[in-house]
Amino acid sequence: MVESSTEIMVDVNNLNVIFDKNHIIHDVSFKVKKGEIIGLFGISGAGKTTIIRVLTCQIEKKNWSGNVTVTNFSPDKKQNHPLILHNIGYVPQLELLNLYYELSPLANVEVFSSTYGLDTKEAKKIAQELFKILDIPSDTWNKRVKHMSGGEKKRLSMAIGLIHKPSVLFLDEPTTGVDASKRYSILSYLKKLNQKLDTTMFIITHDLEAALICDKTAILREGRMLEFDSPQNLINSLPSNGLVARFEINDLNEAKITRISEFSPVKKVLRVGNEVVEILMESFEENLPKLIQYMIERGVTVNSMSRDSASFRRFFQIRIQEEEEREKLKKNIGEA
Amino acid sequence: MRKNVRSDKKINMVKFQRSLFRIIRQMKKEFLLLLTDKFNMLLAIVVPPLVIFLFGFMMNSIPEGIHPVDCVVISYDSNVYIDEGTFNESLRDDFTLPYVNAANKSEYLNLIHFYNATEEIYAMESARMMLLASDIKVIISLPVGFSEFITLGLPGLIDCIPDASDIKTIQDNLNAVFDSVKTFVNDNNLTPQFQLTGYEEFTIPEGYSFRFNYNITLTLSFIVFGVSMVLTILVVVQEKPVARLLLTPAKRSEILISKYLTYTLILIIQVILLIISTLVCRLYLAGSILDLFIALFTIGFTGLSMGIFISTQSKTKTEANQLFFAVFIVILLLSGIFIPIDAMPIYLQVIAYILPLSHGDPMIRGIVTKGKSVFGFDFFALLILSIILVLISFIIFKRRKYEV
Repeated sequence: MVESSTEIMVDVNNLNVIFDKNHIIHDVSFKVKKGEIIGLFGISGAGKTTIIRVLTCQIEKKNWSGNVTVTNFSPDKKQNHPLILHNIGYVPQLELLNLYYELSPLANVEVFSSTYGLDTKEAKKIAQELFKILDIPSDTWNKRVKHMSGGEKKRLSMAIGLIHKPSVLFLDEPTTGVDASKRYSILSYLKKLNQKLDTTMFIITHDLEAALICDKTAILREGRMLEFDSPQNLINSLPSNGLVARFEINDLNEAKITRISEFSPVKKVLRVGNEVVEILMESFEENLPKLIQYMIERGVTVNSMSRDSASFRRFFQIRIQEEEEREKLKKNIGEA
Repeated sequence: MRKNVRSDKKINMVKFQRSLFRIIRQMKKEFLLLLTDKFNMLLAIVVPPLVIFLFGFMMNSIPEGIHPVDCVVISYDSNVYIDEGTFNESLRDDFTLPYVNAANKSEYLNLIHFYNATEEIYAMESARMMLLASDIKVIISLPVGFSEFITLGLPGLIDCIPDASDIKTIQDNLNAVFDSVKTFVNDNNLTPQFQLTGYEEFTIPEGYSFRFNYNITLTLSFIVFGVSMVLTILVVVQEKPVARLLLTPAKRSEILISKYLTYTLILIIQVILLIISTLVCRLYLAGSILDLFIALFTIGFTGLSMGIFISTQSKTKTEANQLFFAVFIVILLLSGIFIPIDAMPIYLQVIAYILPLSHGDPMIRGIVTKGKSVFGFDFFALLILSIILVLISFIIFKRRKYEV
């Protein structure tokens, strides 16, 4: 991993976004250092895109409040917009929003690089460098983009976003619409670019696997930031540093899950398959044999068992579930 | 203080240079996109001169010479005339036969039949049946008192009933009848009440086709306006990466200016090609080529502005196409081609004078046939219309919401 410098590239303090009396973002705060990869995770409607739109000067000041700086310029002043836009890159979810399909990759490079004042020679040099990192075959450089494969278009779109060597690159769902096998290669290309160019990257995504390359992850739900830390720190915040016991149980049902939950060291029981549960508990090593004993005594037949470390996906699931339960409880208290 | 002013000037100069650089590069992109679209290229460069050549060939290949108009003459003449001095009664139809002779003599008329209505009471019905069957194109009727009026030195009246089902030939038919009247007047030493001669300054010299000359003015206006509009109706609405371009330092105004400049250059090429092709097809141009160029450019620029206006305010390609169709139909209907604008109700006249083609044809006609200067009412009307459309397009484009 590249050692992050202390230079703050994005600073968000108490960001609130309101559209027509709809409070979309609630007091979101975070800081991003140079060279970091940040993943913004959340289900649809969590407010990921809205935050990015504030940072990329797409939302008028009248709709948001708080102290926000991007590369040390605040998007609240219109005169700062060209400066911010000069320092950032953007890779939209759909390539057709970022590429002229009728033109060649190099012509596309020229179109976008010229907006930053780069001359053709310089832009082509940077492009070739990026194309090599991203493995875009040289025989496609002068052919029309529409003839390129989906993966090549995706990589070209990333190259366009980086053509002016921005300080911060925003990527909207970079792995959406890509086959499962290619998702990891896209993520590894992003990591490669981050390491070679030291570009701060901001990834908005549903794809929880993207956390693999993130230095920090933010979990959003209904416009509120639930967590903002490194994936490992988040996992470590789980009981026993995120160690999980996975059990395959005969005729698994809600009654059996409740019975397991009643064992006091157990903190969380997650049903992750038809007959599979994952269990998080305090003092894992010490309590695991006791748990097995407890299950046998209460007629819960275990077919197989394994132990593992929780993934970011699991953490996300737990955190969202907790939040939902908390909200339900609040609602019930309110109704009572 | 002075230093500040100087550095401000320098900053503004740098900003201007950067802006110019971006506009030029965006123009290059527009040209590249146009080059990749073969249909649009064909429409922009090849179709306009091709239409002119086709039109020229069509007009110039109509055999010159006279195509006599089939007609019948019905006479209701033969009044009973009482001499005031002698009180003698006589029948007066002594100018009927001379007119029939003149109609026979005229090379523009082909007299199919002569009816003497005093003897054939169903003459008019028979003639109308012939008109209905398209056996003749015009009925010439000599009314009661035709000879008497002429004898008394009064204007002799002739009724004409042309085949009105074909609006294009009515004037030709009436002109042919007029020729017979001229012959009648000359042969009988009568003083005509009206002298109808062509104005010398509108005359097309020998060797030029008057048909081509008189009809090309409308065709030119249509082509240059229509092609410019069709070329531009999708330039903004179909460009998906515009939203992404707006997340770069490129300004909205620069993007729109680059589109205007690109299509203006295309328009200039188009107008030059149109002028060359009309001259090759032997257009007799009474005015100057420069005036014709400016006139065609102005009409084309109005079309371009209208196209870009439609494109900026449409949300989808379908919407732009539908709007184009609706606007074009209205422009066409109210352009004065079908009904003279002055004959329209006043509120329609107001709309018609706002529309571009109502000014395009008169402007070109004035230059081509009368040698007028381009700088008249029609030119300034088009100029104002273009400026308004450009301004509205910029305002709409600036306010339009784009989201990536």
